[in-house]
Amino acid sequence: MSRFIARRLLQGLVLLGLVATVVFFLGRLTGNPADLMLPEDATAEDRVALIKALGLDGPLHQQYFIFIGKALQGDLGMSIRMRQPAVDAFFSRLPNTLLIIPWAILLAMCVGIPLGVVAAVNRGRFLDRAAGTVAVLGVATPSFWLGIMLIFVFSVELGWLPSGRMGGPSHYVLPVITLGTFLTAGFMRLTRSSMLEVMESEYIKLARIKGLSEGVVIWKHCLRNALIPILTLWGVFVGNLITGAIVTETVFAWPGIGRLTYEAVIYRDFPLLQAVIILKSILILSINLFVDILYAYVDPRIRFS
Amino acid sequence: MSLLRRFGIAATGLALASAFPHPSVAQEPKGSLVFAVESLAAQTLDPILEQRPGNAVYQAVMYDSLVGFDIEKGGLGPGVAESWKLSDDGLTWTFKLRPGQKWHNGDPLTAHDVKFSIERHMAPNSVAAAAASMKRSIKSIDVVDDLTVNVNTTAPQLGLPATLSRAVAPEGTVMPKKYIETVGEEEFRRKPLGSGPWKFVKSVPGDRLEFEAVDWPHWRGRPNFKTLTILQIPEESTRVAMARTGEVAIASIGPEAMQGASRGGLEVLSVPATMQAVFQFWGTYRPAVKDSPVAKVRVRQALSMAIDRKQIIEHVMAGKAEIPRPYSTFAYTDSVSVDRWKTWTDENFRYDPVAAKRILAEEGYPNGFELKFANTALPGTQFMVDVGTAIVDMWGKIGVKVTVKHYEWGSFPPLVRGNQEHLTGWASMYRTVGRPDAPWRYNAAFSSDGGERLLGEKDNCNETCKKFDELYKSVIDERDPVKRTALNDSMVELVSNSWMSIPIIEGMGYYAVNRTKAGRFAAIPGRHELGDVFERIPRPDQKPWKK
Repeated sequence: MSRFIARRLLQGLVLLGLVATVVFFLGRLTGNPADLMLPEDATAEDRVALIKALGLDGPLHQQYFIFIGKALQGDLGMSIRMRQPAVDAFFSRLPNTLLIIPWAILLAMCVGIPLGVVAAVNRGRFLDRAAGTVAVLGVATPSFWLGIMLIFVFSVELGWLPSGRMGGPSHYVLPVITLGTFLTAGFMRLTRSSMLEVMESEYIKLARIKGLSEGVVIWKHCLRNALIPILTLWGVFVGNLITGAIVTETVFAWPGIGRLTYEAVIYRDFPLLQAVIILKSILILSINLFVDILYAYVDPRIRFS
Repeated sequence: MSLLRRFGIAATGLALASAFPHPSVAQEPKGSLVFAVESLAAQTLDPILEQRPGNAVYQAVMYDSLVGFDIEKGGLGPGVAESWKLSDDGLTWTFKLRPGQKWHNGDPLTAHDVKFSIERHMAPNSVAAAAASMKRSIKSIDVVDDLTVNVNTTAPQLGLPATLSRAVAPEGTVMPKKYIETVGEEEFRRKPLGSGPWKFVKSVPGDRLEFEAVDWPHWRGRPNFKTLTILQIPEESTRVAMARTGEVAIASIGPEAMQGASRGGLEVLSVPATMQAVFQFWGTYRPAVKDSPVAKVRVRQALSMAIDRKQIIEHVMAGKAEIPRPYSTFAYTDSVSVDRWKTWTDENFRYDPVAAKRILAEEGYPNGFELKFANTALPGTQFMVDVGTAIVDMWGKIGVKVTVKHYEWGSFPPLVRGNQEHLTGWASMYRTVGRPDAPWRYNAAFSSDGGERLLGEKDNCNETCKKFDELYKSVIDERDPVKRTALNDSMVELVSNSWMSIPIIEGMGYYAVNRTKAGRFAAIPGRHELGDVFERIPRPDQKPWKK
């Protein structure tokens, strides 16, 4: 087991190094933050001085090695725009994102899993096609459009809910629905296919032969076994939510790490962008590692493969 | 009396004449004013760490600037300094501060604070855009007495008051010397102290800034609301929705959201003369494009004539923009014959596709030609892309086949720097912000050592380019107001007749206002941001402020 964990950790570190390198060079291909900060009539002298003040005056390879050296010590640099440590900026916003993600997952599971079960049980019939349509719509509906429509209907027209921003429980409803819709479709499709596989298995046939009611067979025996691959992919879903929160947080003015990422890109805030992507990667890798370990613990075939 | 002294007195007189009308302070502030804006930029209340837009949106709320606004016309007016004048030798600007100003902790605001602030803007840890230029041009700063400060320059700097005015730049922001030296920079950033009509309450990163009205009459006007909250709401549709539901009183919007806001019962406020959308030609003087159609001045003029500016104003800007004046000039531009140029543009910016086609034929392009066009827009000004798309369509009608490439704003400056290889022979969208002193923008665009080098560059400077360089040098050295205006006019004429950078519209800043949450007010011409306006916004039950 420890060799398995060590191997996965090593893979994670290699991946992080690659991510750090790619984000460092890719970001710098897109321009210089000084150009966005300076007015149009700034002189070349002002530009040179600002670039120096921002610490972007050295050769690119030199900046890269400084960045890697400091990153290994846990220092991901100072945000150019906010003039504060990029790591601090990330962790000050992370709790806000983590406040909506569990609710989005809960919503997705509560809606997506029963829908998947219903679709599987009614395979090829109207309910299956209806659930499939819901899934397709969920995947195909752009988050920004859905968010804006929800605001228009429930905030502007009906006046039931606030349009955005963090606040009391009512502020969570629309962002959670927006964030959870995409995931609902994913849970539904996965549950359906997993259920269909389980429903064909011998032990389910045996349960029926034993005379158990259809409800018990489906919701207890089938679903319990069908949930295993779904829970395995839970980590991937959380990762999707963390990265997918950019649009939702922007539409609903939710001050989380999604919006922080958006702002870092728009303002060419290289240190912040690097920090946000690296820390998000660590977060996602950690969740995946946790799920892998859990799965390996449950299924010995994984750790011995 | 010397010309210098006359100029100094004229500047002082202008400053005094345009003094702020003092709003009524009869009523106690009450209620909350909530404003939604796309971005809070750096969201720091240390002025040396913020750029112009952030300074103008939210720092202006709690800080005053050495030189302020003419709030009626736009441009420069009194600020912390109620007057300023230039010495006879042109090397010293003397600023006289208005008496009785104080910081939010009750300490008096003095000339020592002004000296400290200018020096702090030039400090190594400052990200002020003009820090390097200021360091080069400011020799020393002397405190004469508590209300008088002399700024000594290395050479005559006629534009210094503009540099120290929030009408132009944030570098005039005055900070509390004693407080910062006592508590240190870090503590100052946590608990900032200003002298403006609002004092700092709270900053929630990425979400909002909260302020409270000061409880004494302020020279900028005592706020009508007790509290002010500035929210960062990046999505425009959400900002409009929040204004409609009353979650915010005022939301900044773009032209594309105006009709929706109006239909939703909001009032749209437009701020005049905040910027010009222009199209311009790059590197046309270079040998590589000497045979290109756009190297010919009449072809460039014909492309301007093919543009129906009124239609763009009507359909892209929802009717809330103007036919522009010449490049980077506005009704409030200093030392320019604004009326003369208004007449010029009325004639020369006319829509005449027939004449445009005729000119193309005369120049040897009866069937049009192929043109490459870079479309770009600053974040938050999506309408610029729409304006670019509209002019491309209009050029198509006179036979010009345009290949359009879209650039995100941040990726465009690298093309402008260096040898402009990828832009040579191209046209592009660009913009110029509204500021009262035209020469600085002209320098950036047209000087042979400027950033854009539209007329020529150091080792390839043709007659027009040389003439511009000479004119620009004369303008910045000329202290006689009459001669300066004449030189500015010559510079405007030279650039206008080159048809190299051509204004399309004089754009405006827009706000959606929920009238149940805020009363009627007018913004400062040329000043898109409301940082210096909030204290004048009345409550819904109060009389309108202006108009």
